[in-house]
Amino acid sequence: MTDIIADTSKSRSELAIIIAGVARDPLGLIGLIIVGSIVFSAIFASWIVPYDPIAMNIPDRMQGPSGTHLLGTDQLGRDTFSRVIAGGQVALKVALPAIFGAMTIGLTLGMIAGYGPKWLDNFLMLLFDTIRSFPTVMFALAVVALVGTSLQTVVFVVMATSIPTYGRVARTQTLTLRNSEFILAERAMGASMARILGVHMLPNIIGVLAVLAAMDIPTVIALEAGLSFLGLGVKPPTPSWGVLLKDGYALIRQTPWLVVGGGLPIILATLGFTFLGEILRDVVDPKLRKNR
Amino acid sequence: MIQFAFKRFALAALILVVAVTVMFLMIRAVPGDPVSIMLGPRATPELKARLIAEMGLDQSLPKQLFIYFSGLLRGDLGVDVFSGRDVTTIVFEQLPHTLKLIFSAILWSALLGIGLGCYAAAHPNTWIDRAAAAISVSFIAAPAFVVALLSLLVFAVYLQWFPAIGVGEGFWDTAWHLVLPSLAIGLSWVGYIARLVRASMLEVLGENHIRTARAFGLSERRIVGIYALRIAILPVVTVIGVGMGFLLSSAVFTEIVFARPGLGKLVIDSITSRNYPIVMGAVLVSTALFVISTAVADLINAILDPRARSGT
Amino acid sequence: MRLEWKKASVGRRNFLRGATALGAASMLPMGWASRAMAQEDGVLRIRSYGDLSTMDPAHSVGVVDENIHASVYNKLIQYKPGTEWGWQMDAAAMIEQADATHINFALRDDIGFTNGHGAMTAEDVKFSFERIIADATESPNKPDMGPLSHVEVTGEREGTIVLNDPFAPLWTIALPYITGNIVSKAATEAAGGRIGTDPVAESGPYLRASWAAKEKTVLKRNPDWKGDAPVWDTIEILPIDDENTAEIAFDAGELDLTRVSLGSVERYRGGVPNGGALIENPSLYYVWLGMNLDHPKLQNIKLRQAIQHAIDVPSILQAAYFSAAAPSTGIIAPGLIGHRPSELVAPAADFAKAAELLAESGETNVSLTLDVLNKTEFTTTAQIIQATLAQIGITVEINLLESGAFWSSGENENLQLVLNRFSMAPDPSYATAWFTTEQAGIWNWERFRNEEFDMLHKAASAESDNAKRDEMYRRAQDLMEESGAYRFITHEATPVVHSSRVAPALRPDGLPLLRYFGKA
Repeated sequence: MTDIIADTSKSRSELAIIIAGVARDPLGLIGLIIVGSIVFSAIFASWIVPYDPIAMNIPDRMQGPSGTHLLGTDQLGRDTFSRVIAGGQVALKVALPAIFGAMTIGLTLGMIAGYGPKWLDNFLMLLFDTIRSFPTVMFALAVVALVGTSLQTVVFVVMATSIPTYGRVARTQTLTLRNSEFILAERAMGASMARILGVHMLPNIIGVLAVLAAMDIPTVIALEAGLSFLGLGVKPPTPSWGVLLKDGYALIRQTPWLVVGGGLPIILATLGFTFLGEILRDVVDPKLRKNR
Repeated sequence: MIQFAFKRFALAALILVVAVTVMFLMIRAVPGDPVSIMLGPRATPELKARLIAEMGLDQSLPKQLFIYFSGLLRGDLGVDVFSGRDVTTIVFEQLPHTLKLIFSAILWSALLGIGLGCYAAAHPNTWIDRAAAAISVSFIAAPAFVVALLSLLVFAVYLQWFPAIGVGEGFWDTAWHLVLPSLAIGLSWVGYIARLVRASMLEVLGENHIRTARAFGLSERRIVGIYALRIAILPVVTVIGVGMGFLLSSAVFTEIVFARPGLGKLVIDSITSRNYPIVMGAVLVSTALFVISTAVADLINAILDPRARSGT
Repeated sequence: MRLEWKKASVGRRNFLRGATALGAASMLPMGWASRAMAQEDGVLRIRSYGDLSTMDPAHSVGVVDENIHASVYNKLIQYKPGTEWGWQMDAAAMIEQADATHINFALRDDIGFTNGHGAMTAEDVKFSFERIIADATESPNKPDMGPLSHVEVTGEREGTIVLNDPFAPLWTIALPYITGNIVSKAATEAAGGRIGTDPVAESGPYLRASWAAKEKTVLKRNPDWKGDAPVWDTIEILPIDDENTAEIAFDAGELDLTRVSLGSVERYRGGVPNGGALIENPSLYYVWLGMNLDHPKLQNIKLRQAIQHAIDVPSILQAAYFSAAAPSTGIIAPGLIGHRPSELVAPAADFAKAAELLAESGETNVSLTLDVLNKTEFTTTAQIIQATLAQIGITVEINLLESGAFWSSGENENLQLVLNRFSMAPDPSYATAWFTTEQAGIWNWERFRNEEFDMLHKAASAESDNAKRDEMYRRAQDLMEESGAYRFITHEATPVVHSSRVAPALRPDGLPLLRYFGKA
């Protein structure tokens, strides 16, 4: 794995090269388009939505798709299309902070584990393995029962359960780099630990984790939806794809459009991020595929 | 090797102890008492106090933990005060349902995934290869509970090809009831395994002894099917080991959607009813399942690949 | 090595085709491929919302256990199936009220216990009833037996039930419900005084043949039963907590009878799959919005009244209960003694009045939390309450709780608004019992304390004149509403669907009485 040794000055043009590389691949292009439109619609949600996603209109409830309501309405007469769009915003609001948090903490702990003393390494690995060994839903149930449901709770649950994945990868990368020639050389020249970790190792590890993060987003989105489906997710009236599925599952034979409205975006987002992540991984480094 | 095995299992045991302790403390910190939830307004304060004493919940936390672990050493997971049954019995009568679900999912996804991977590797860069690739990436993207919901609606409600609920009786009926749930949790594994097998198969096919076999004029099918597969399948073993734990999580959703009994359902029911002894028993067994399967996967990996023993 | 594997242009088309197929299939009309009932095998399959937890009536946790107990045990009297509450004789050949505190009974001579425990005697009745009230039994069902003193055995099959005080619910709850089940004294004592999940001796028209946890309970006809022969040879009771799942199973022909969600009533009115039928029963449940009288934010009665007036019950019923339930006037359902013909605050919201009350209260910038259980009908209701209260300028934050946390809200002193639903047995005393001062902070989450209410609750259950009882319970509910702590919403309903091969026997509130089930 010595070929990820990097020059530490990744420039903007390099990012452009990566994006171009991804877009050259048909699957990557599809991924880019899907992810792009999800991000776009999430950012500009309040301009896109034809209706207020939480405004009720009970006389017009449970309608099928029509010119006025593209995906029909739910049991409270809220516009499903608007809720799907706003749900994308919620999905990203959960996924991005959770993944960013998990990545930061995982990276820090993983680097400490990989570079620090053996006992600390053992301790951290034990911690990671313990967290991993809980079935996620069990952990989520306990946390939700403890602090109640909210967007923050979901973010916390998702983050806590993803830390070990990032931590392990960061640790493996650190261990690999630790004995690489250029780090040994730095050390021989008397570079401080902070300098070695921060300046030399971090940029090399972060690329790997970024790819991992892209591929992790769909898992996180599905987890949020799953928690909301079990009634452990966001608070009403916040629209989320999982809430749409939960409401839709209860009303499936009255109106299938809620399940379609909640299910398709999840599948689309999952496909989009997976395609993007796959191709990104190949573009950034084809060898990484074996680390997962 | 024996030393590695010993260390690995000691670690597994340690993880189990820590995990159970953490869960124990967490669930105790959660508000809600089992008696009110179970008996509703019928729970008088006196009755509550008595049942709580019976469950040992009035003791100090360290003492409760001590009692729990010393019971555990004797193989005693405690008693459910509401039914008077052993928690061991309660957990182990649910376990087979979940194991059947997980193993059937692994079995069909591994068979299909390996087949797909081999076929793709044997025909690299043909349209078959590409189709298999696209299918497998799309499959990976399928979240289990969404697949469970959609397949329930399509195949059980609308088409009515498969039963919607329950686990069935007897071999064929049981298998029949397993189709949709194991489809739901196995689907994404087809993709994973196919990719893994294809990649390692291509790598193996490029290696020397296979080239030698080819030179000896063995048929391509024989080479792929027997010589190469034996080596190429190794990474799959590890992935399946780790995957067991994730399958447990997907099993929770699947058991709910298909109204199946099982460990996942037991956990949800017991956490929401704060039935502490059952929660602990179920958490213990499911974490043990995860920890053991990852340890076994590590061991197999270590036997097959000595480099893995160094602990990275 | 670099693999070219994901560069497949087929991917997108494949995916699109797959997605379209899934989408299209889920939009197929209902019953498009309805399968013929697969089960023509003499087995009745019934859904229950929970799983069996004990075969001991003393430790029964409610209607789920009672369903099974009522089939394998006998009581002196049983509920009558039909649309009006009433009872009929079961193990009793004779039963009469001798005076206000004495009830004489004589048992039939043809009822015997299984496992060689002999004929049912008055000793068994004495044992069964007295063990409910004995402290050592720790029975959660003890309150149902009220002021029972003891049972006097006057002959092999004759005896007298002796009460400390008059007790009207004896005929509506104590005898025909959970605590009325008669177990074998010999068998129970031989088992150490406690029955677990396996019966020790049964006497009813059915025997519990097997139980697989969370999977099913199987009842089979009792060959030694001498009474009217039950119609079905085998009954399977399947625990499915989610109504929607049960409906899916019913539509797929895997169940013969299930309660369905109110949201599905409209659809089933239009036709029940596989030639079945829908029965719409009223229900005894009561749903209400409660306000914690001890909370500093809710001290102002004008504010509470403003909230009462601002909640629009018709919108809630339309959106959360799909117009399949009627507004309630209190905690006692129609058909029971004590039901109020109308409430003090009309069901439809009066926003002008609410705004006026809020202004009078002098409270501004009111923001409150509303705790709800995480079930769709409650979250929907909560969102409507949130929206309607917003119209008079009250901000509501919804706290979604899973059942464990929700049901311990009694201890939660920070509770503000709470959307609650209690189940109910067919006697008004069963409803008022939870709102006494004694229950404040236990099941009385509003912490409603009213001496007159406490007095009425006590007096009414000892009153045998139904007209007077009726008046007392009505007054009790007036007191609740006047406190401003309650906004009554609905009693819900119990819609039940059944397959074409079964003639169901249901209590007036739609719960099944399995031993009376027939074939269509």
